[in-house]
Amino acid sequence: MIRLENVTKRYGSETVAVRDASFDVAKGDFVFLVGPSGSGKSTILRLINRQERPERGDVWVAGQNVNDLPDSRVPFLRRNMGNVFQDYKLLTGKTVFENIAFALEVIGKPRHVIARQVPIVLDLVGLAGKEDRFPNQLSGGEQQRVSIARAFVNRPLILLADEPTGNLDPATGEGIMSLLDEINQTGTTVVMATHDHRVVNAMRRRVIQMDRGVLVRDQERGVYE
Amino acid sequence: MIARITYAFREMWASFRRNLTLTAAAILTSAIALLLVGTTLLIQRAFENLLVQWKGDVAMIVFVRSDATPEQISLIDESIRSAPTIINVDKLEYLDKAQTYEEAKRIFAGDPVTLSLLTPENIPSEFKVVPITQDPALVRSLSEQYRSLPGVEDVALAEDEFQVISTLSKFVRTVTLVMSLVLLMVAVGLIWNTIRTAMFARRREIEVMKLVGATNWFIRIPFMLEGLLQGLIGAVVSCGGLWVLNSAWTNGVAGFKPGTGISSLVVPSGYLSGVMFVILMIGALAGAIGSAIAASRFLDV
Repeated sequence: MIRLENVTKRYGSETVAVRDASFDVAKGDFVFLVGPSGSGKSTILRLINRQERPERGDVWVAGQNVNDLPDSRVPFLRRNMGNVFQDYKLLTGKTVFENIAFALEVIGKPRHVIARQVPIVLDLVGLAGKEDRFPNQLSGGEQQRVSIARAFVNRPLILLADEPTGNLDPATGEGIMSLLDEINQTGTTVVMATHDHRVVNAMRRRVIQMDRGVLVRDQERGVYE
Repeated sequence: MIARITYAFREMWASFRRNLTLTAAAILTSAIALLLVGTTLLIQRAFENLLVQWKGDVAMIVFVRSDATPEQISLIDESIRSAPTIINVDKLEYLDKAQTYEEAKRIFAGDPVTLSLLTPENIPSEFKVVPITQDPALVRSLSEQYRSLPGVEDVALAEDEFQVISTLSKFVRTVTLVMSLVLLMVAVGLIWNTIRTAMFARRREIEVMKLVGATNWFIRIPFMLEGLLQGLIGAVVSCGGLWVLNSAWTNGVAGFKPGTGISSLVVPSGYLSGVMFVILMIGALAGAIGSAIAASRFLDV
């Protein structure tokens, strides 16, 4: 599903964010990208959804070489991916329902599809009944659930999560993790960047460890060291 | 498809209202710039009315009495052609009564009283004379000769009627054109800035849109529509201003004594609508271009 081949990415002339990284993620996998801040985890996510382009090497997503993709095709690549962030990136002026509907609206989905899909996904993330709330009326965990709902409403092949539990207390984070696990069970490939030891150790999934841009460990059913 | 169109217009309208002060400034500037463009075009046309009979370096017009016989006309023709060192014989032009009448319609556009006294029958015909010589005195002495020929009603010289107006019209045209071009650029800049501000205000939204896979055109179009609307509203305002200005001028000019020339300085209403159409086009285009540049430049969030 995702394949990096000897990928190097530099910001400016000196900072090497990712150095010669290669790995494969099969369809339906759940992968943790771990490592301290600045180790290149986020950059790898940004390379996968083509927010960044590598300096050397290739990034493949669903059989397509992302580097060769013309800019005009990038939106269609991204329709196969959901993105979840540490800071949720919800639109404060829109309700829960509108925030999720927005993701469908801007890719041109007709209204009746939106009206059908949004309640289903709201139910899935456990926010049924809160569709008319605004983000600032929700707890952090609930806001993250909205953002996961928005990422998943289009049934993407891949879910990219960048520190999704970073702003949450352990119990709430656990809830988010079981939700991501549930989404993974539906066949969605999940790649999650994190430095949260507890969630990694509790889940025992594949762990790819980064250190100053270099991939230092790739382990099935791994733990955070 | 319909969902996309309603989306684009809804977003355009929301953003339009959010930025009222900047929007008003952009609209007002484009209105003033376009008003100047329109005024330039109208002034140019009005002066042309006055100058139409002197087009193409014509320096002297010999008016022939409407009851002149064909023999008299050909005698006049011969006399003019007999001075080939002073007159450019190849460019000598004879307008018969019908052609002269067409010309008079423009000259007396703002003077319907005079025009109503003329008919294609009672109007003089005319010879238009282009000189070769640079010496106006030679042309003037010729005009004295022609005036005494049988069948000649009058001889008019460009020197007397034309040159002041021509200089004046060129000056006015240049000044208004430069001013309107500068203001038009200011208007495009202001529209550009309004759109940039609108996009900055919505950068989070745009970021989310890009991440969920909205195409750049989908994101861009509401902003472009917004700019286009600003330019268009500015154009509509300036059209209103132009109409008011032109009516006031036409009414004012009608009060002048007929035949003073000032009364020629009006434009037919068909021409006014043409100018208004051009202005609406320029307004829409300037708005769309300004906002398109802004939308493309600031889409990388």
